This record gives sequence, C-alpha cells and structure tokens, in this order.
Amino acid sequence: MTSGSQATPAATVPDHPAHEDLVDEKIILCYYVAALTFLTVSMLAGLLVALQLVHWNVLRGIELLSPGRWRMIHTNAIAYGFLANAFLGTLHWVVPRLTFHKVLSKPLSWFIFVTWQVIVGLTALGIILGPTFQDQPWLLELAKQWRLPMNLGAQGLEWGETPFWIDPVALLGLLLVAVNFMVPIGKSKGPMYVTLWYFMAAFVWTFLTYAMGNLLPEYVVAGTSAGAIGGLFIHDLVGLFVTPLGWGLMYYFVPILLKRPIWSHGLSLVGFWGLAFFYPLQGIHHFLYTPIPMFLQYGAVISTIAVELVVATVVINFFGTLGKKGSEFFTNLPIRYFYTGMVFYFITCFQCALQVTLTFQKLIHFTDWVVGHAHLVMFGVFSLWLFGIMTYLFPRLLGRPWYSRTLCEYHYWLSSVSLFVMFLDLTLAGVFQGWYWASLQPWDASTDGSQPFWITRVFAGLGMFAGLLCFLANLWMTWRGAEAAERSSGRVAAATA
Amino acid sequence: MTEFTKPTPAMASARTANEPLPEAGRSAGTPHLGMTSRQAWVTMALAVLILIPSMYGFVGKFVEFVHIYRGASGGEFAIAPILNYLLASAGFFCMLLWAAWNGMFRDVERPKVEFLENERLLDRDVRT
Repeated sequence: MTSGSQATPAATVPDHPAHEDLVDEKIILCYYVAALTFLTVSMLAGLLVALQLVHWNVLRGIELLSPGRWRMIHTNAIAYGFLANAFLGTLHWVVPRLTFHKVLSKPLSWFIFVTWQVIVGLTALGIILGPTFQDQPWLLELAKQWRLPMNLGAQGLEWGETPFWIDPVALLGLLLVAVNFMVPIGKSKGPMYVTLWYFMAAFVWTFLTYAMGNLLPEYVVAGTSAGAIGGLFIHDLVGLFVTPLGWGLMYYFVPILLKRPIWSHGLSLVGFWGLAFFYPLQGIHHFLYTPIPMFLQYGAVISTIAVELVVATVVINFFGTLGKKGSEFFTNLPIRYFYTGMVFYFITCFQCALQVTLTFQKLIHFTDWVVGHAHLVMFGVFSLWLFGIMTYLFPRLLGRPWYSRTLCEYHYWLSSVSLFVMFLDLTLAGVFQGWYWASLQPWDASTDGSQPFWITRVFAGLGMFAGLLCFLANLWMTWRGAEAAERSSGRVAAATA
Repeated sequence: MTEFTKPTPAMASARTANEPLPEAGRSAGTPHLGMTSRQAWVTMALAVLILIPSMYGFVGKFVEFVHIYRGASGGEFAIAPILNYLLASAGFFCMLLWAAWNGMFRDVERPKVEFLENERLLDRDVRT
C-alpha cells in the first residue's frame, strides 16, 4: 500500500531503499485496528467494574459477565490486546526505516499478526468461559486422565491470567516476533542508534519475562518463591516489555517531529544500560512485609530508588532536546502527547521511589493508590505515547490529513485530563482506605468511605472513554475520505505532522 | 529481497548538501558529531552515578547467591528470583562487553545525526 503517497522511483537515489519497499503499511493499519478494538473492549470492561463498585452493576446475575472476570479482561486486553498490538504495528514502521532492511519475512509478519489476535481472543474466552466449564464432570475426567492442571480459565497470576494452555503458543509468538525484527537489526552496520538497543532488549526480555512469570510458578516453584517470581513478573512486564519499547519509540519519533537530534546520545545509552542492570532487581518490592528474606526486600527497595537516576537521564535528555522549541508542545499534537506522557512518567517513577519504602507500604498496600499508579503508567504514559504515534502515523498511512483537528484536540484533552483526575482521585482514595484500615474500623466503613472516590472514578473513566470515541469517530471519517471538517486542512496537517 | 547498504555520514552529507540539516547547534552543512562540554559532564556524572552502582548491584547479587548456595538460612526462597536476575543480567553484561569491544561506543553521538539523515532520505522520495 502506498498510502496515497505518491512515490518517485527508488532509482532517484539508487543506493538507499524506498520507503514502500521497506515498510508494509497494510499490516500496520491492521495492527492499529486490532489495538483500538481491544482498547475499546478493555475500557468498556473497566467501566463495568467501576459501575460495580458504585453498586450499579448493569449486568448483575449474568455469570459469564461477572465483574471478577471482566476485571481480568480489562487488564489483559490493555497489555496484550492494545499495547502489544500497537507496539507491533509501530515496530513494522520503525525497524525497517532505522535499519534500511525489511523484516525477515512478510508472510511471517502476517502469521504473527493472526496468531497474536487468536492468542488474545482465546485468552479472553478462557477467562470468561474457563471458570464455568472447568467443574463439568467430563472435563474433570479428562483432566484426571491427562494429568492436566484444572485452571482451564485464568491462571492464578496477576497480569499473567492467560490460561496455561495458551502459554506455549504465546511464547512461540514472542519468539517469532524477536526473530522477525532481530534479523534486520542484526544486518545493520556500525554503532547502533539507542532505539535499536531498547528494541533488542525488549525482544529478549519480553520472551524471558513471559516464560518466567507463566511457567515457573505453574510448574517449578511454589509458595513464597512463586510469590517472589510473581512480583518480578508484574514489574518486569512493565519495565522490560512496555518501557523499552515505549522509550525506544520516543527516541525515534521525538527527534523526527522536532527535526533535531536527541540532546545527548551518550546519555541515552547510559539510561539504557542503567535500565538493563537495575530494573530486573525491582520486582520483589511488590511483596514487602512477606516471608521473602528481608535482604531481598531491601535490595528491591534500594534498586527501585536508584532507578530514579536512570529516569533522570531520560527526562533530562528529552527536555534538553525540546530546548528552545517549547512552543512545539502547544502546536504539535503528537509532541504534546509525548511530553505529557513523559511528565506522567516522571510522576509515576517519583511515586514509585516513595511507595516502595516500608513506611509508605504500611499505609497504601492493597489500596486504590496502587490502582491509580497503574493507570497513570499504563494509560497516562504508554497509551498517550501510542495515541501520539497514531495521531502522527494515521495521516501518513491513509494518505490524507485528519478529518477534524477539533476531534484530535478533544481526544487529547479528554484522555489526559480525565486520566489525571482518575489518578489524583484514586491516590487520595488509597490514603483514605489506608487510614480506615490502620484505625481498625470495620471493612464496610472503608468501602462506604470510598464511595465518593469511586463515583468520581466512574466519571473520569467516562471522560477517557469519550476521548476514545472522538478518536474513533475522527479515524472513521478520515478513513472513508470525508472532507476535512475544518476549512483549512493545512492547519490539521500541520498540527499532526 | 533487495539488500541495501546503509549510507555512511559522508554519503548522506553529499546527497543532502543542498538541503538544510536538522537543527543541532552547528554550522550549516557539517554534521556535528561531538558533544558540548556540558553534555559531556552531565553524561559522565550520570554514568558514574548509574553504572557503577548497577555493577555493584550485579556483583552483590552474585555474592548473595553464593552465600545462599552455601546454606544461609532462608536462602531457598531467594534462589529463583536471584537466578532469574543473574541469568538476565549476565546476558546483558556480555552484550555490554561485546558492544564495547566492537566499537559501539566510539563516536557515540554519530548515530543520532545519521538516523535523521536516513529518515530524510526515505521521506525525500515520498511526496505527500
């Protein structure tokens, strides 16, 4: 697909490839459509759970749609449905353009695309249907005969609820992803740009993290050791899968949009290697005050605080790059998404350094503080970055400017402001809940006291969902080639490119 | 599949002699590949602050692992996570050595300019 862009023959500059020879734009569009579909499902699931907490479950009495199952759909659809699909689509743009080499195989790319959607779909089915089916006599007999685990539905691991029978297929998919993208990276010569370092690390780490988190607690270790592995898995999924891909993409897109190189490439490499050695130490901080030996807990606390130095390198580098081009923040929408995400990233990491201390944990453990923190990092940082990338790439992929700049603006403001309201609301709710529990009041007192916060959360979630609807409507109108709503389509193009 | 050669900075500069270069605080037409002294100081300071403690952490975890292996109390809880960390980090430690050995950190600022030049080459052929 030439995306409506008219390409001159590649022979213009004979020794470098043409964009359309390198990049398969059709697969990027397919990945983005899949990502936005799963995002819609995930946000609807989040709204259902939020409504349940304010005693307004619209699906009450329907077992298959119970909040416990929808909560897992909410988290899994975001991690594996939205983020993974959007990242994979964007990688098909970035890696070939950075290395000047195509991905290993186009058919393999399509095979991975289809397989990944099947994996995410089956995960959802397993989560929804598994608990209902697994106490059927015929299935019990089958499991006994073949010595299979009985958790046909969700696996008992936070963020790793993918049913055990899908794990090998998911691992194979991740391996194929690594091979498909590592081959072009391996072919590139000379010192590598920092984005490629991050991507290489992500391909290795994601495979290892997934294998560790899903296989070890299921088949190898049990009890506290399995808990420690679970802690590593939760955190490494964010830090070793999403973070390197996210920062790798920022190091790629920000210089392009600002039309200036990153402030210091050396500093970016310091940040990368710091992440490589510091980050894998941290996961145990999810299990403070547990029987896990204290030297491990202290080690995790110290390394989490130390990783703030790594975060500082990244923040200094990107704000150094922005430099005197600060006005781009207001005029260039993708840049605004990127830098808003970076500010949220700094907040979330700063919060991390505080909340991993034993003092903070006494108050906030198991409270909504943690939920607010998770939303800030997954939506406020990585989802906003991906929205920014999509805002930049969709016009290039479709070959026309956005239908409406206004809808683009609504998407940004509704997403970022509503998310920030939700973050503040849940953080405050967490403090209240912590004090309710510390004062030894009955459990009901804490849930009753949480109602104002949970009601606010519903409205914040509705705001975020409304932002997504603006984006989807804008995309629909742009895709079908509707005339740009604003009189000056040049203004729309300038704001998003 | 057609194989392409990644252009050297010299080739990129020659091709784009008539085009404005990305803004990098340098004289027109000459890619600036070095660091300013401020960038060098900040980079060095943060490198010392980050890489030395992270190496210390790596060695520390290895020492812990040895103690646990020798039978320190409560050690069995820690073996799985520490082994996991050591396996992942050992791989990256080897990669760091390989990268240094192969000159990946020489002329460390060059890739940031080269990448923008390559992007411009790709986009120059596409008229939107």
